Amino acid sequence: MAQAQDNKPLFILSGLMIIYALIASSDVLHPLMKYLHTAKTADLQVSMGFICGGVGILGALINSVRKPGTTIIDRFVLQPLPGILLILVMAMAIRWYVEPVVKLISQNLQPVLGFKIYKVLNLNYVILGLLAGVLITNTYGIPKFAAAGVKCARFVLKMGVIMLGARYSFAELAKLGSYSVVLVGTFVLGTVFLVLWLGKIFKQPKTMTGVLSAGMGVCGVSATVAVAPVVKAKSEEMAYTIGTILSFGIICMFVFPTVGHMAGMNPVQFGAWAGTGILNSAQVAAAALAFNAVDIKTLKVAEIFNITRVLFLPIIVLVLATWFGKQSGQKLTFKEVVIDKFPIFILGFLLLFAMSSMGLFSPPTHYKGKFIDYSYNERTQVTEKEWEALNGAVQNNTLQGLKPEQLAAVKDLVAQRQLAGNYESRADKKLFNKQGQERMFQLESILAAAKGKVLTLDKSVKGAIHHAIKQVHKKSKTVTTLTDCMIWFFAFGLIGLGMQITKKAIFQAGGWPLVMGIISGITKATLSFFVVLWLVKDVVLK
Amino acid sequence: MSKDKITINTGDAGKGESEIAKEANTEELEERALSVFSSERNEDITALVLSLITTFIVLIFTKWM
Repeated sequence: MAQAQDNKPLFILSGLMIIYALIASSDVLHPLMKYLHTAKTADLQVSMGFICGGVGILGALINSVRKPGTTIIDRFVLQPLPGILLILVMAMAIRWYVEPVVKLISQNLQPVLGFKIYKVLNLNYVILGLLAGVLITNTYGIPKFAAAGVKCARFVLKMGVIMLGARYSFAELAKLGSYSVVLVGTFVLGTVFLVLWLGKIFKQPKTMTGVLSAGMGVCGVSATVAVAPVVKAKSEEMAYTIGTILSFGIICMFVFPTVGHMAGMNPVQFGAWAGTGILNSAQVAAAALAFNAVDIKTLKVAEIFNITRVLFLPIIVLVLATWFGKQSGQKLTFKEVVIDKFPIFILGFLLLFAMSSMGLFSPPTHYKGKFIDYSYNERTQVTEKEWEALNGAVQNNTLQGLKPEQLAAVKDLVAQRQLAGNYESRADKKLFNKQGQERMFQLESILAAAKGKVLTLDKSVKGAIHHAIKQVHKKSKTVTTLTDCMIWFFAFGLIGLGMQITKKAIFQAGGWPLVMGIISGITKATLSFFVVLWLVKDVVLK
Repeated sequence: MSKDKITINTGDAGKGESEIAKEANTEELEERALSVFSSERNEDITALVLSLITTFIVLIFTKWM
């Protein structure tokens, strides 16, 4: 009886999951899911509810009939199961309800604020999960039954980091212009070493310095999460780093466009500067659009520089793993640093990165599973109605204000019914893709000009161009699924890590991480400003 | 208290104070206390193996089937 009492939380959590799955499968929640834009995940919600609930009930039953032991099953499954289920319930609530509600609220606030607050503050499952964990620990406290499950957080987070490797590809880095690779590479590595040096000056723990250097150097939140287990950063150090990066990014987002205008930067120069100096992808895009919403070049260049920065993550992980191995021991040999001290799970990250670069998950030139495919395909074509709208506009000469190259791109879209290179050059894939790329650039410029009210476009024409562009953007199913796994592992890991952050620990970290973050961020932004003004003239794209 | 030992504050969970070896790696002890695995190596290898199994299953269902 006493054991059944201990199992109460597990029975309740499992029961709740099964009840939720039953409700979700009966379509009662469909209108709500549609409103929250989570209807696509309905099947997943039902399956996860039934599977996790079923496993929970099974675990609770086993716990009820047998004495607790010290076997592997006891240590790794039966004891942590209630905690694992609690974190899973929280992760589900965040992914399917809290995050969509935050998105909806920020969309409604956009007309007032002028930007989407969830994008700017990066209020996604990562931050929300961490906050939820911190909130529970510092209010109610971690329930006793969940203590063992919370200890699985770091392990699950490591699985997420391994999965992260599948999202990047070396081929994408090689495809980018050597100009942006050298420029961004210098700043990424420079910032990492600057933060490491500042850490030494301010006598900060190397765990804190390591994680902050990756966050400030590479791509903000994902770099922080990936590097935290490499340098054995504590949960509060990770949270501190994320907070520092995001607050610095928000300031940059408003300051960059103003400084860019005052310095008379051209769209390419500003794109290069924003992509190098600002850390968060959404904040880079917001700054580029704030600088110039009409000239698509600003956003394109900023995105390319941003992608280049993100693609440095595997290199930085390697650098920091070696640095940490060397720092934590004394007078170690190369073998000891690289082989004995090197975190084994990072090999998994590098393995998936290599598999992704070889094209096992998707065509090698993908970025986060997305790639562009101009090849002829019926599914890539615009619809008959859209084609008629485009053809009518071209025949009746209603496309006023377009540049000759923009008009040529529209005419080609009418002739080929899809975005593509010249039909004759289809055998030469490189040339064919280059022509397609140029046409896409022109079509995107038309849409940007229409958005900026520089030219007026018929709604149906605008819709047809938008659809044609969308159709050549493909997504790898394998990378998308691996990314979903990664998201769940991260959500689980970060809620668990959030639960390990106490108020006391946050105050103990003090304000030095913020100081180091601001110094390195300002140095990087200032130096890149002058280098971009000096070196980047107009053309940086390959 | 022995010469080779120091007293550390272990909070409510550890009922106040505990004695540990002077040369003990407290960071390592702290890290292990926050994990279900007894060593980092085990934790890493398990994460690696489980991730590779997940990747293989995903490949089977999304690409090879």
